[in-house]
Amino acid sequence: MTIMAPRKFGDSSDGVVGGRQTRFEGDLKVTGAAKYALEHPVENLAHGVLVPSTIPAGRVVSVDMQAALASPGVLLVLTPEDDFGMRVATDWGGNRPDEPYYPLSREVRYNGEPVAAVIAESREQAVAAAKLIRVTYEEAPHVASLDDPNAGEGNLLEHLSASWGDAEAAYAAAPVKVEAEYKTPREYHVAMEPHGLTAKWDGDQLTVWEPSQWSHGMARSYAEWFGLPFENVHLISPFIGGGFGSKGAALAHGAVAAFAARKLGRPVKLALTRPQNFTGYGGRAATRQTIKLGATQDGVLQAIVHRGASETSTYGVWPEQTGAATPIMYKVENLSSEHRVVPVNTVTPGALRGPGKNPSAFGIETAMDELAAQLGMDPLELRLKNYADRDYQSGKPWSTRRLREAMTEGAEAFGWSKRNHAPRSMRDGRTLIGWGMACGTFPVIQAPSEAMIRILGNGRVEVVSGAIDMGQGTYTILAQTAAEIFGVPVDQVEVHLGDSRMPGSAIAGGSMLAGSILGAVHKAASAARDELIGLALSEPSSPLRDTGANTLTFSGGRVSVGGEGPSLTLPELMQSLGRDVLEIRRNTLPDGASMEDQHQAWTTMAKVEGPTMGEYSMHSWCAHFAEVRVDEDFGTVRLSRMVSAFDCGRLYNPRMVESQWRGGIIMGIGQALLEEGLVDMRNGRTVNNNVADYLVPTNADVPDIQVISVGVPDYNASALGGKGVGEVGIVGVAPAIANAVFHATGKRVRELPVTLEKLI
Amino acid sequence: MKDFSYLRAASAEEASRAAQQAGAMLLAGGTTLLDLAKCGVTEPDTVVDITRLAGLDTINVGEGGLTIGALATMSAVADHPEVKTQFPAIAQSLSLAASAQLRNMATIGGNLLQRTRCAYFRDPQAFPACNKRAPGSGCSALGGVTRNHAVLGTSEKCIATYPGDLAVALVAFDAVVDLGTRQVPVDDFFLPYGEAPERETLLQPGEIIRGITVPASVAARQSVYLKVRDRQSYEFAAASAAVGLELEADGRTVSDIHVALGGVATKPWRALAVEQALIGKALDADLVRSASRLSMEGAVSHGDNAYKIELAPRVVARAILQLAPSLGDLA
Amino acid sequence: MTRTIHLTLDINGQRHELDVEPRVTLLDALREHLGLTGTKKGCDQGQCGACTCHVDGKRVLSCLTLAAQAEGRQVTTIEGLAGPNGELHPVQSAFIEHDAFQCGYCTPGQIMSAVACIREGHAGSDEEIREYMSGNLCRCGAYNSIVTAVREAAEMA
Repeated sequence: MTIMAPRKFGDSSDGVVGGRQTRFEGDLKVTGAAKYALEHPVENLAHGVLVPSTIPAGRVVSVDMQAALASPGVLLVLTPEDDFGMRVATDWGGNRPDEPYYPLSREVRYNGEPVAAVIAESREQAVAAAKLIRVTYEEAPHVASLDDPNAGEGNLLEHLSASWGDAEAAYAAAPVKVEAEYKTPREYHVAMEPHGLTAKWDGDQLTVWEPSQWSHGMARSYAEWFGLPFENVHLISPFIGGGFGSKGAALAHGAVAAFAARKLGRPVKLALTRPQNFTGYGGRAATRQTIKLGATQDGVLQAIVHRGASETSTYGVWPEQTGAATPIMYKVENLSSEHRVVPVNTVTPGALRGPGKNPSAFGIETAMDELAAQLGMDPLELRLKNYADRDYQSGKPWSTRRLREAMTEGAEAFGWSKRNHAPRSMRDGRTLIGWGMACGTFPVIQAPSEAMIRILGNGRVEVVSGAIDMGQGTYTILAQTAAEIFGVPVDQVEVHLGDSRMPGSAIAGGSMLAGSILGAVHKAASAARDELIGLALSEPSSPLRDTGANTLTFSGGRVSVGGEGPSLTLPELMQSLGRDVLEIRRNTLPDGASMEDQHQAWTTMAKVEGPTMGEYSMHSWCAHFAEVRVDEDFGTVRLSRMVSAFDCGRLYNPRMVESQWRGGIIMGIGQALLEEGLVDMRNGRTVNNNVADYLVPTNADVPDIQVISVGVPDYNASALGGKGVGEVGIVGVAPAIANAVFHATGKRVRELPVTLEKLI
Repeated sequence: MKDFSYLRAASAEEASRAAQQAGAMLLAGGTTLLDLAKCGVTEPDTVVDITRLAGLDTINVGEGGLTIGALATMSAVADHPEVKTQFPAIAQSLSLAASAQLRNMATIGGNLLQRTRCAYFRDPQAFPACNKRAPGSGCSALGGVTRNHAVLGTSEKCIATYPGDLAVALVAFDAVVDLGTRQVPVDDFFLPYGEAPERETLLQPGEIIRGITVPASVAARQSVYLKVRDRQSYEFAAASAAVGLELEADGRTVSDIHVALGGVATKPWRALAVEQALIGKALDADLVRSASRLSMEGAVSHGDNAYKIELAPRVVARAILQLAPSLGDLA
Repeated sequence: MTRTIHLTLDINGQRHELDVEPRVTLLDALREHLGLTGTKKGCDQGQCGACTCHVDGKRVLSCLTLAAQAEGRQVTTIEGLAGPNGELHPVQSAFIEHDAFQCGYCTPGQIMSAVACIREGHAGSDEEIREYMSGNLCRCGAYNSIVTAVREAAEMA
């Protein structure tokens, strides 16, 4: 794919790393020319739809498909009776049980699990026929949710426990105590582009057009399912209509489509309906946690005791770690944190923006507000007083931690010093006004990545990577990186992304992509420039050979000796060298990594590095300040003002970063005030499985949000100094808003979302 | 959607004839019919497109009141300058409903006939029991998630909320539905669920709503539609109130008052008890609040929706107080 | 086979002939039959606004419009918004300038809605823009920038 020439706004410095270059692929997106997965034209398509289960637990006894098979246009009906001949693929944790894989399960483990599929000539025909499928079940007892009386206490995950000092004793001895339980509901990604794919076979070669946050990882799954060499799978995902954690793994519907395509000998397109997007993959698990804080009379933390739990499925363990942020936010000498998972009849939950840190921050940051209220202290002052000078969990120093600056500069911009700390101290007629704050964090995660740079005879520079742009700005920052290194305008650069046959990359998730892939692109581009310099100074045909220079400068679109004397454009240089193309591929694995190491690096999480694996503890940080207006009679909460300050290290493109921060904050507004999967306890079904009933914020719910960067480059965190951006924005938003609601009303809501019935 | 045939009616008579055939359904804006067809709730054999019928999209504000053709769009009525000044509650009920796109599509006639948003009604695959869809099959909502369900007008057979906004304002102001051969007060047009929740209106097969008339009144001119919901926009009401108020020259004594509620009942809910408690009285905030509580006479909670019983009277009270500015900044 | 009907649709000033089942929506006709994939399918049930296009100049949801209903009407999609030589509509330019999108999937619907919002006279203030753009959900959360872009384009109009 060739990117159209970008529109250029702002000053000339925008085209380099750190500049405010507008979105590189912007023209394609505003004209409708950007092709998303289901939009690639494929001849002779058949259309598939899934039939989800309507019971939460049990087994499929029989599937009556006669009416469906007789329905016009129907080509194929698949049921648990069909032997797919597939094998289970490796999960994110690297586990691969040696078992057959049945994407249409005979055992029903949650309401909405796919139990049949219909493939027809048209989507309309498939949908109509799917309604004619009659499934007979043998029902089994179920556990509908974390709130189900039969859910139990779940299983302790010891590797998630943290403990130092003697937390219980210190808590017991502390003169000031707070203890409360906090709960968050099931939440969903609601990416605007539904999941779906087109699968096409050519012999034993499988092409998959599917929205993906990780082209190589998902291609590996397809290859393992079908017992194919990795190279035989080609997963294509140049654009993705939002992921937020939901599009990082191949899923049952993908397996069904690919299997059906092979069976029918023609390509199959299968899209989940919007309701099916609520059960086709897991959202954020519901959580509950108890926090006990002990402090001195003047607000010095003495102990934190945290006990949390999250729901998981009956067939997989996904911990939504309620203790993920708890141990690293504050200076405390005594801490104990435990997390349990409680199996219920749901699809296995998954990663949703700020996994773990998000509900964890809701707990600890609300508890800190409760402590401040009990002490009669400014919540900002309490946080500054207990500022963590190092990571008490790992014992390591912070690489960079400008959370203090985030708090103070955010407070300054918000006007926090004017706050009367008494609840119910501000009103406008029947409207109560409140100010709240909370902090957030997300770890710096890195993974090895690879990139290719191609310099063409016409002087165009191509950046090629399997990395994904789901809106974070990957196209843009890669173009900026190449433009800077070759001293050319951004519109002389092309970027090719989202393809499993391109060089491998970190997943676009966990806020790890930008730091990881920029390292690889920077390395490859620098190597390509060095190669060009070497050729220009040594090839007999090069006009620069006789300059006697030791190196060359790339600037203003020309190659020269420090800007003096003769200079050539890139096309002129390539021509003089007699080269049509110069191609360099580099990765960020240790030198000498084997092909097997490389394959593992691009297609599994095995080589992902966490925040404390080196000498430092590395994290992004933020502080949110919220103003809410609460209708005293109706209990409706409207966010009227928001200021958020971030330490995310160096920003590769502030325009894109600010957009991501605001996006995270807005998702946090939804989490705070609107979003909740409503489960019918009788059959475990999420009954508000659509976007009219599962409410996400509209434009009218969102005020102008001021975002501030207080970060400095952190070269321990990444090659170019950035820390993660995408996840941290949401972390701490919900507690900031809930704390503001307390300040407005005097009512402490400890269970999200803060809906009107909790306030009237 | 089940396969259907498409007929574009050239005249109201043709549409009426076609609509009497078994399995035929009228299609105007399509925002309810196609939505429910996709859910599998409605399965028409024939869709009769009436959007090309001439002369049914007029909007007139005259001495006698407001007449709206059934095919006028929600946005056309909401943005009509005289509707906004003479019947503000009606204009507001429309502009606070749905989204700009849906209001450009949906017609006034179709709007009256929109179906409930009950999640159980809308999910026949997972919840076969629904007395509204399949009379006698039971009610899946009872005992389920009921946060959005009705507290008024319910029965053991159905607790589904009427979702609309416009009809609430119409009921408040004594509007009449023109069915061509007969004229029916809107309040009668919507049937109480009682024993037969599958029958929601008086409409007979082949009958087509031709239009709506709303009598002019001071109260209609001094009216408001107040809608409370979780989200600021693009959501159905948690509770809403259409109120019109005419005061004596003293600025306090009620000479005429109209009150109806939305989001809390199985049909657009006229609150006559509130009106009767206030007519002829000199308003003060406490009186308004206590009278507004009468709107919940007979209300039944199903657990999750208990908040509506507390919320709705407050919405009514706020709406009344907003129309009586002489009472000071109580609203 | 199921029955089909023959339709002639006027889309972006061009005449398109197609044979489709009567139940085919305008959205599916555009995306699956005519290759006009700029109009997006987000929910397919009238709840998200991603499929917004113009019919006779008014913004509507193509997922709840039958293709047959659009016969004899002028349909405009995102592909028909730019000028004859590809010059971007001012709303499109403003969206790029203010970074009013991230993933881009809701963007065609947002832009079609914004063009109509301005034309309707509903872009008089930020508050009015927010309300009249609320039928278009954006999960990436570009709302602030969308308001800025619509305001700026409205001022230029």
